Amino acid sequence: MESEVFDASSSVTVVAHELKAPLSLTRQLALSLDFEDSIEGAREVGRQIVATSERALQQVNDLTRIARLDDALFEMEPVNPRVVCDEVISELWQLFRFNRREIEIEYRNKRRLAVANRQLLYSVVYNFCLNAMNYSGEDLPSRISVYDRQNKIRIDVRDFGPTVPTKVWREIKDGFVKRPVDIAMRPGSSGLGLYIAAKFANYMHSDFGLVRHRDGTSFYIDLPISGQLSLV
Amino acid sequence: MIFVIDDDRGWENYYRRILKGHELEFFHDGIAAISEMDVVTPDFVILDILLVGPTGFAVLNEMRSYPELAEVPVAIISSVAMKDEIAQQYGVVAVLDKSEMDPSDLLALAKEYDGKKSA
Repeated sequence: MESEVFDASSSVTVVAHELKAPLSLTRQLALSLDFEDSIEGAREVGRQIVATSERALQQVNDLTRIARLDDALFEMEPVNPRVVCDEVISELWQLFRFNRREIEIEYRNKRRLAVANRQLLYSVVYNFCLNAMNYSGEDLPSRISVYDRQNKIRIDVRDFGPTVPTKVWREIKDGFVKRPVDIAMRPGSSGLGLYIAAKFANYMHSDFGLVRHRDGTSFYIDLPISGQLSLV
Repeated sequence: MIFVIDDDRGWENYYRRILKGHELEFFHDGIAAISEMDVVTPDFVILDILLVGPTGFAVLNEMRSYPELAEVPVAIISSVAMKDEIAQQYGVVAVLDKSEMDPSDLLALAKEYDGKKSA
């Protein structure tokens, strides 16, 4: 049952903690405005407040969508993955900047359209990127890649940080993702973002997985190619 | 000098703004911080608990095991709800909840424990 996330007290704790972090930072940033003596400095604080609160709102929206998945309100449609990735980057670049992180995009797909729900795909890529932002090492940009893979279009997001433990790799590979704590993959991670991504990928009948590298991890989603030639 | 050990880089700007004038060094995991303590002994440490790698408690245990670092004042500043007994158990000077603290709390701690405030 999709609403199981709200049934397990451990999962509620995970969700609460995940939301508490950006809300706490937002409050402290607002309070810190009293200590700012330049207009540009205050504007910068304002930008960070916006970026941080948008992250929290995205998480709340994602959790709401999980609760609505059973109602099948999310229609599948032809989607251009490049456009979705561009939108995610446009939304997240400020947050990356405030976290002193960078992200690169590499588009290599020849086939342009995939079958997905645009909103859910956006959330999948968004959560992959947030995960990469948290785990990439110093001075190493995260990377989104979009490319053709057999009869699918793959979007993967690569980080350069600690790789996931083999136990977690096996659980995700076997599709065993019941609640956030099951994929709390690296120390300091609740796994909530990846749990959300896995739920949405599953709803879209897309393959969700990960690749362990010696110097990090890639999370990917494989989307069926759309027979439609263009969105125009 | 104040060592700030927090893996959420979003807090870095906040600490820089509130602790303006103090010499700050940021670490995003406990191992890097402990390694640097071999070179420089901080006057004061701000420590988060949920870190990538060893937790803040592991960092505290490590610090307390070395006579050179055992007396360094440490404040736990975290989103994790914690009982006051923790402060006594680990000998920390303060436990602040990120969601409830006021910047003036932080300033007061820095003023009290950081002996090398510049400007």
